[in-house]
Amino acid sequence: MLLHESAIKQVTGEAVFVNDMDISSEMLTGHVVYSKYAHAKILGYDLKQAKALSGVYAVLSYKDIPGENQVGPVAKDELCLAEDVVTNIGQAIILIAAKDKNTALEAEKLIDIKYEVLEPILEIEKAIEKNTLIAPVRKIERGNVEKELNKSKHKISGVLETGAQEHWYLETQSCLCIPGEDRNIKAYSSTQHPSETQAIIAEVLGIKSNEVEVEVRRLGGAFGGKETQANHIAAWSALLCNATGKPVKIHLFRDDDQIITGKRHRFLSKYEAGFDDEGKIISYSVELNADAGSATDLSMAILERAMLHADNAYYIPNMKVIGKAYRTNLPSNTAFRGFGGPQGIAVIETVIDKIARYLGKDSVEIREKNFYKKENDNITHYGEKVENNRLQVIYEKILKSSEYRKRRLEINQFNSENEFEKRGIALTPVKFGISFTTAFLNQAGALVNIYKDGSVLVNHGGTEMGQGLYTKILRIASLELGVSEEKIIVNATNTSKIPNTSATAASSGSDINGMAVKNAIDILKDRLASVALELLGSKSQKENIIFENDFVFDKNKPGKKILFKELIPAAYLKQVSLSSTGFYKTPDIWFDREKGVGNPFHYFAFGMAVTEVLVDTLTGYHKILRTDILHDTGDSINDEIDIGQVVGGFVQGVGWCTTEEIKWDAKGNLLTHSPDTYKIPTIQDIPADFRVELLKGYPNPNTIRNSKAVGEPPFMLAFSVWLAIKDAISVVGNHKSEPEFSLPATNEVIVLAVEKIR
Amino acid sequence: MNNTIKFLLDDNVVEIDFRKEKNLRPTTTVLNYLRSLSSHKGVKEGCAEGDCGACTIVLGEKKADRKIKYTAVDSCLVFLPMIHGKQLITVENLSQKKDGKVILHPVQEAMVNSFGSQCGYCTPGFIMSLFALYKNHNNPTREVIEDSLSGNLCRCTGYQSILESAMKACTKNGGDHFTERESLTSKILKEINKEKTTIHIVSGDQTYFHPFTLDDALMLRKHYRNAIVVNGATDVALRQTKRNEKLTEIIDLSGVDELKIYDEEENGFYFGAGMSIEKMKNLCEKPFPALYNILKVFGSLQIRNFATIGGNVGSASPIGDTLPVLFAKNAKVILQNSKNKREVDIEDFIKGYRKTDLKDDELITSIFLPKPKKNEIIKSYKVSKRKDLDISTVSLSCRLVLNKGEVKEMILAYGGMAETTRRAKKTEEYLEGREWNRANIEEAMKIVKEEFAPITDARASAEFRKIAAGNLLMKLFIDRS
Ligand SMILES: Cc1cc2nc3c(=O)[nH]c(=O)nc-3n(C[C@H](O)[C@H](O)[C@H](O)COP(=O)(O)OP(=O)(O)OC[C@H]3O[C@@H](n4cnc5c(N)ncnc54)[C@H](O)[C@@H]3O)c2cc1C
Ligand code: FES
Ligand code: FES
Repeated sequence: MLLHESAIKQVTGEAVFVNDMDISSEMLTGHVVYSKYAHAKILGYDLKQAKALSGVYAVLSYKDIPGENQVGPVAKDELCLAEDVVTNIGQAIILIAAKDKNTALEAEKLIDIKYEVLEPILEIEKAIEKNTLIAPVRKIERGNVEKELNKSKHKISGVLETGAQEHWYLETQSCLCIPGEDRNIKAYSSTQHPSETQAIIAEVLGIKSNEVEVEVRRLGGAFGGKETQANHIAAWSALLCNATGKPVKIHLFRDDDQIITGKRHRFLSKYEAGFDDEGKIISYSVELNADAGSATDLSMAILERAMLHADNAYYIPNMKVIGKAYRTNLPSNTAFRGFGGPQGIAVIETVIDKIARYLGKDSVEIREKNFYKKENDNITHYGEKVENNRLQVIYEKILKSSEYRKRRLEINQFNSENEFEKRGIALTPVKFGISFTTAFLNQAGALVNIYKDGSVLVNHGGTEMGQGLYTKILRIASLELGVSEEKIIVNATNTSKIPNTSATAASSGSDINGMAVKNAIDILKDRLASVALELLGSKSQKENIIFENDFVFDKNKPGKKILFKELIPAAYLKQVSLSSTGFYKTPDIWFDREKGVGNPFHYFAFGMAVTEVLVDTLTGYHKILRTDILHDTGDSINDEIDIGQVVGGFVQGVGWCTTEEIKWDAKGNLLTHSPDTYKIPTIQDIPADFRVELLKGYPNPNTIRNSKAVGEPPFMLAFSVWLAIKDAISVVGNHKSEPEFSLPATNEVIVLAVEKIR
Repeated sequence: MNNTIKFLLDDNVVEIDFRKEKNLRPTTTVLNYLRSLSSHKGVKEGCAEGDCGACTIVLGEKKADRKIKYTAVDSCLVFLPMIHGKQLITVENLSQKKDGKVILHPVQEAMVNSFGSQCGYCTPGFIMSLFALYKNHNNPTREVIEDSLSGNLCRCTGYQSILESAMKACTKNGGDHFTERESLTSKILKEINKEKTTIHIVSGDQTYFHPFTLDDALMLRKHYRNAIVVNGATDVALRQTKRNEKLTEIIDLSGVDELKIYDEEENGFYFGAGMSIEKMKNLCEKPFPALYNILKVFGSLQIRNFATIGGNVGSASPIGDTLPVLFAKNAKVILQNSKNKREVDIEDFIKGYRKTDLKDDELITSIFLPKPKKNEIIKSYKVSKRKDLDISTVSLSCRLVLNKGEVKEMILAYGGMAETTRRAKKTEEYLEGREWNRANIEEAMKIVKEEFAPITDARASAEFRKIAAGNLLMKLFIDRS
């Protein structure tokens, strides 16, 4: 078994995170002063007193930005520091560099910002009413939705609210910037996107990208929250570093992190579906309204992914998806595991669940009826064919292994005997498209160096945030180069080694970086094979040379071997380059946004979960009694790492579906700004009986070692918990009336729903 | 004046003389102290409020028999003088180096092998909670493991692998290199604990007292009437760590052993004000299940190890979890100043939102809790968004005496429904003398909803609080039928 590459350092406390770096006694603490109003004019402030405080080295406003006052990653609509208007609470206005945190806080008290408060928009409903669209409405349509809806024998419609979610990475946002020679700056940033962080630092400082180096060894969790929004923190610390000529570190205090940074997008979705007696959906229309927050950030890509996942695992002949993202006066919402996928899938899963109740059938039957098929009914609403469909095989296996049908009867029995405690069960699938939907982002670079002693240094553009990317890359490099793992180091990700990388996101980290590393190794092996042929005295072809277990040999004469570490110095003496870059771009993917058609995904990942819950209808307390998961990761590169992603993603999804509730007051102040009131799952919230398996024997063609991406898809399996809770509540009304239900299903939502149907 | 604290770290006695330290103040937390040392950056801050466990460390305390008692605590809430006389164990201390090789502690080994770390930021904290679990339990049940780890949040793993690590690791009766050194450690601790004159630290504009006897504490109380009293500081420390308040004068009771007493009398129990919630929980398990059940879901183990019953009563929070039970049993608060002792009924002691009847020269010395009587039914319930490590949305404790199916006596004490713990007197009145049946309970549910005007806040809406308050009566009814 191969262990997590950092595990020993992590358990001994040696693993270094940005905030653990005390590089010199000169280092200053950076602090950000942010808006206390959701929408206001800034009438003025005086920085003199703060600047005069002993121990304060710099106090900066937007006027002190040497370059461009802009951090927007896609649309340039996000200021680095507010100018004359603030558009959300938490928006940065002033930066302070001081000798320590307390001094910075003292300095903050000396800055009195005068505001003229304006009316904020804090609810999607209000944004819709005021039509604050952040970009033109998007549409994907197939068939004739209206006509088929009108013709349908049965129809349901409704509105679903899905809540925001705070990333709650354990390590809050942090960045340390160190000044170098001339205008150079080096940033140790907790970012998922080193290249973009580099570009933004260069932009705000008005310097060139080659003057900025960004390095990332590891992040203490990210989940999308550090894909674009780590850039802000990096830009702030770079500005302070530049102004003071000293190293400056910013490590956000937990509450500030929760207040300042964006969250998973809240959605308000309106749907209508027409179906036949069997529950086969004929026509489905859905409007997805996203709360983008105060700036664009990645909202349009997130909305797009929500639209592309509005079908989840179901073939629906007539389908129309409308996507709208609205500007509100909340911090700009951003990427979060699933990237809109969960919000799109939540609606169709609700529809299926409602159809089952309407027809008085078990929801698994409705799901099965609507799954994408192999031979026909296999084209998505945006025109991509669902290839290598694993839905049927997973469905059959999990239905059996979870004993779904038997347990359904037992649950009915239990429910008839208990008045207030109710059990519920649900099976939910996920089909998740893998690739960035912005096609050009699907590229990656690598740099592999072999040193004279035979040791290997692998560089790639992906970041390690706990998902096990470095461990997988190490494995890939070891298998591809035929060199044992002890001889290989996967280096900290650094923009001066690998330029122009894409974010480590969209679950694609090991897919694209793994391929780029393989490409570099293939180039090196090709060069080395010639040397090997000579050393082996063989007349064979280069293709016949095998690199395996630290040896190199001709596959036709496996008896004669040379050691890899002997081959390398020989190659060096023969003046063969022992360093190579590698590159990869995902083939054949495209998407036409105007028309809403294309082939945006390289492939799909599939999984299913069956969950049983117990709900106390008096207190709303629920317990997950058992969850079975069967998830498809192709030929897994590391089973334990992949299972870790499935379990971790699922539990994070459970949080979003149950206890993680974000609340603001009427002025836009975040009420749930710390773990005191914002409740992510603890160890007691995971399924009492938790059976997770990877689907074996189904390799994924055309990917690195036939593997599959795993980071995001399992998140959406948590709908099994959410719908099992709904199933349990619905028992109170004998499965006749539809519980009023939203996401998260907090104990409050549960009790109020029960109250209505009792 | 004794300005110096001493504790054991990395097998060395560390002395901190606050007059000489430029960067340390007496209210510097153990977390910030450790993180100021380049050799102890394993410990992490995740929240600075006791809610995540990333800062977990283990304290070793000398027991009577040359053994050491190991407890996990959240170092972000512990002021430095509170670890005086103790062994401070950090994640760096668990593994050993022998012949250039790293030998992992069994809990570390298990975490590595079970893939218990992903991003690794929560890991040092988990390792320390696992270490305390390892030292205190052999082959722990899942329940014990969950209880020991619910104060540690992890956002990556989904906990399953950590749970497995705990099961794998804790099989050696706690044996490790700490056990081997125990008698030596015990000797050193005994030595540093000899000195019993009050530690009196003056540092900048802060004055901090750490007395060792009740008499000294009461004298200090008499002379420094504005000083803030702390025991576990799990409530008070937040004023500094979260609200950046300056705590200028502090009397820290955590060194006073007389406040940690436990006494069982014929009619009831005396719990010293300085007794930890965890200890109280364990003492209650058999004799007082209603209190035990509430204490089981009080904060996390790290919090319970440090939080005290005196602090819970002293906070007078409307969502203080011991208060409804104390109300239900009409407990008494024992107060003392340098001259006198008095007893006050708990209901009279709690005066308002975070207001008590405590005089500025008094201390709470103990709580007297009458024993449950044979004919009494005592139950308590806590509703919170998350089951563990969460503050009550609504809680209820009830004392019920039935006579031939009729309610003879009833106390319904609610938390979270008003600005203090409050009895539902109208509902009690309605039920008293009535038959204990479903129809009457349903009627009582309506009354209780009208009786309170709770608030809407970050935790829940007023509407939910009212419905839950009523539903808890139904729960009580079913539990009793
Ligand atoms: C993460 C977290 C979770 C928590 N969970 C819960 C929970 O589930 N339920 C709950 O009820 N509380 C909870 N609390 C609140 C707190 O832990 C408790 O109220 C605890 O009992 C306080 O005890 P302490 O010794 O730490 O108090 P301290 O902070 O030391 O003191 C609290 C107050 O009591 C006074 N005081 C303390 N001792 C005395 C004395 N002997 N004489 C006079 N006055 C005294 C102090 O002056 C102060 O006003 C939680 C706190 C945290 C940080
Ligand atoms: S830092 Fe979170 S509990 Fe101490
Ligand atoms: S491993 Fe990342 S938070 Fe636990």
